[in-house]
Amino acid sequence: MTQRREQAMATTILGVFSLIALLPIVGIVLTALQDPDTLSGYGSFDGLHFDNFRRAWEDGNFGPYLRSSVIVVVTVVSIATVLSIMSGYAFALMRFRGAQVLFYVLLLGLMVPFETLIVPLYYDFIDLGLYDTYWALILPQIGTSVAFGSFWMRAFFRTVPRSVIEAARLDGASSWLTLWRVLLPLAKPAVLTMVVLLFMWTWNEFLLALVMVDTEELRTAPLGLGFFVGRNTRDLTLLSAGAVIVALPVVIVYAFLQRHFIRGMVSGAVKG
Amino acid sequence: MASVSFKDVVKHFGGVTAVAGVSLEVTDGEFMVLVGPSGSGKTTALRMLAGLEAVSEGEIRIGDRLVNKIAPGERDVAMVFQDYALYPQMTVYDNLAFGLRRRKLSKQEIDRRVTRAGEMLDIGALLKRKPGQLSGGQAQRVALGRALVRDPQVFLMDEPLSNLDAKLRMQTRGEIKRLQHDIGTTTVYVTHDQVEAMTLGDRIAVMSDGALEQVGTPEELYDRPANRFVGSFIGSPAMSFFEVATQRDRDAVRLRGDGLELSVPGAPELPAEVTVGVRPEAARVWRDDEGLLGPLRGRVEYVEALGRETFVGVETGGAQIVVHHDGRASLLPGDEIDFGLVQADLRFFGTDDGLALRSENGAGPAPS
Repeated sequence: MTQRREQAMATTILGVFSLIALLPIVGIVLTALQDPDTLSGYGSFDGLHFDNFRRAWEDGNFGPYLRSSVIVVVTVVSIATVLSIMSGYAFALMRFRGAQVLFYVLLLGLMVPFETLIVPLYYDFIDLGLYDTYWALILPQIGTSVAFGSFWMRAFFRTVPRSVIEAARLDGASSWLTLWRVLLPLAKPAVLTMVVLLFMWTWNEFLLALVMVDTEELRTAPLGLGFFVGRNTRDLTLLSAGAVIVALPVVIVYAFLQRHFIRGMVSGAVKG
Repeated sequence: MASVSFKDVVKHFGGVTAVAGVSLEVTDGEFMVLVGPSGSGKTTALRMLAGLEAVSEGEIRIGDRLVNKIAPGERDVAMVFQDYALYPQMTVYDNLAFGLRRRKLSKQEIDRRVTRAGEMLDIGALLKRKPGQLSGGQAQRVALGRALVRDPQVFLMDEPLSNLDAKLRMQTRGEIKRLQHDIGTTTVYVTHDQVEAMTLGDRIAVMSDGALEQVGTPEELYDRPANRFVGSFIGSPAMSFFEVATQRDRDAVRLRGDGLELSVPGAPELPAEVTVGVRPEAARVWRDDEGLLGPLRGRVEYVEALGRETFVGVETGGAQIVVHHDGRASLLPGDEIDFGLVQADLRFFGTDDGLALRSENGAGPAPS
């Protein structure tokens, strides 16, 4: 009896929080679909006006912004993933001098707020002649992503039984081969979870794009959305449509990988 | 196949010495078991032989080759791990083939070896499965198979049976023995289970606190333990011990302990104080016609009835002695019983150092 009551309570609490999380999303989707000419309130429903998306796309110039975002995100996530796997392996399983110190230095990248780095980064990139290029968006984000990714992959690799790695060594496999052939297939959920997280963070990055690029072509989608919002403060429907366009890729990636994502998160929580 | 040799091998972990100067020769084709309680250094010794731990001091050779600095994959050894350590995402076939592919064997040769190992270990039907779909016993056989296909110079086994249930353990034990006998590959096998050691080993090396206590055949270890530790570790139930003062009495030696007194006729010279070691079968419930030393009187503390035989824990003069009785004994804890000792099977150890005191004809005193 108690168990059933506990279950009902758990369901209720989780339901309430899910609603809190879902309501703004539903609200913005509904608003994006409203008739732009009638002045309905936020989140109310008055039909499906898909034309809003076309207007937002053209008005907001989202095509180039999304292209920019895709270039940055794909480069950052793919390079950071490979580097994180390799450094996570090294920190988890190799014994080398200064490993611990190096690891803590790397963790600093996770702990220092990005806002404190942005000004020095700005001047560094001007000196390097990389200001207002894709590199100004890509390189700093690879840095922060590898800090997290190494930490994440190290936690995973430490859960793999040592004997499996030793068996591979006795079988004549090099560290390189052990990593890619033996460990990586095991690490799939952890890697995919990391990919989703890095994708999300890189996609949503705003401050860096605001400071480091000037050319319109190079602007990423969230930055473009920022400017778009600035220009169209009155047209709530159009704003919502723009927001949905910018958020959609993250939702799609998450939807594709969510099964692995949840598995990775749960195993990380239990074992990591 | 090859011999294995440890020469004054030492292993330190930080300030802790796990292996303290071990020298051991394993001959070509021999089945050598390293046995000892946990923390005795047996696994560390095996891991140094595998190349998974660096040697702090001393030399390890496989055949004539000094292997101290040689990578595990190049030592031509194969290891069976306690937790099997199969590659979880590969099929059984790929698990067996992984090491062969690293050695650039032809596809046909790999196929031939895997199929043969599959037949020998009766895992032919499992080749397409993944380790997660195997029972403990099957996974164990696959782990053995992975070592077998490599056809290495030395097999290393680190407690490979300890995760199996008792029945399967016994069955697999027999199988490992048979396989090793058929193939004849030098094997170093680590276990904490002395029964496993006794049944498997051509020779056994008993370790404790990082040092070798004794190396010998199972019979030698059982009959002539080099010291009190080996006597107590090998054999089940364990050897019982009691301390006595000795006094020469013409041809005999009188042994006086706390509440017990024995006269041993024809005994050799013994120091003033000795520890007597008694195997359970050397202590029997008293019968006049058996020529036992005694009788000694004691109080029954526990009775272990195994059906075919019974072991009785008897407390006498502050010592506890396990007494053997054929068949069933109608005894209860608290009963007083008389028992006697088989003179030829008594073992004497120095009370100070625990070392065996030997006479010309073995460890025990000469029979009268």
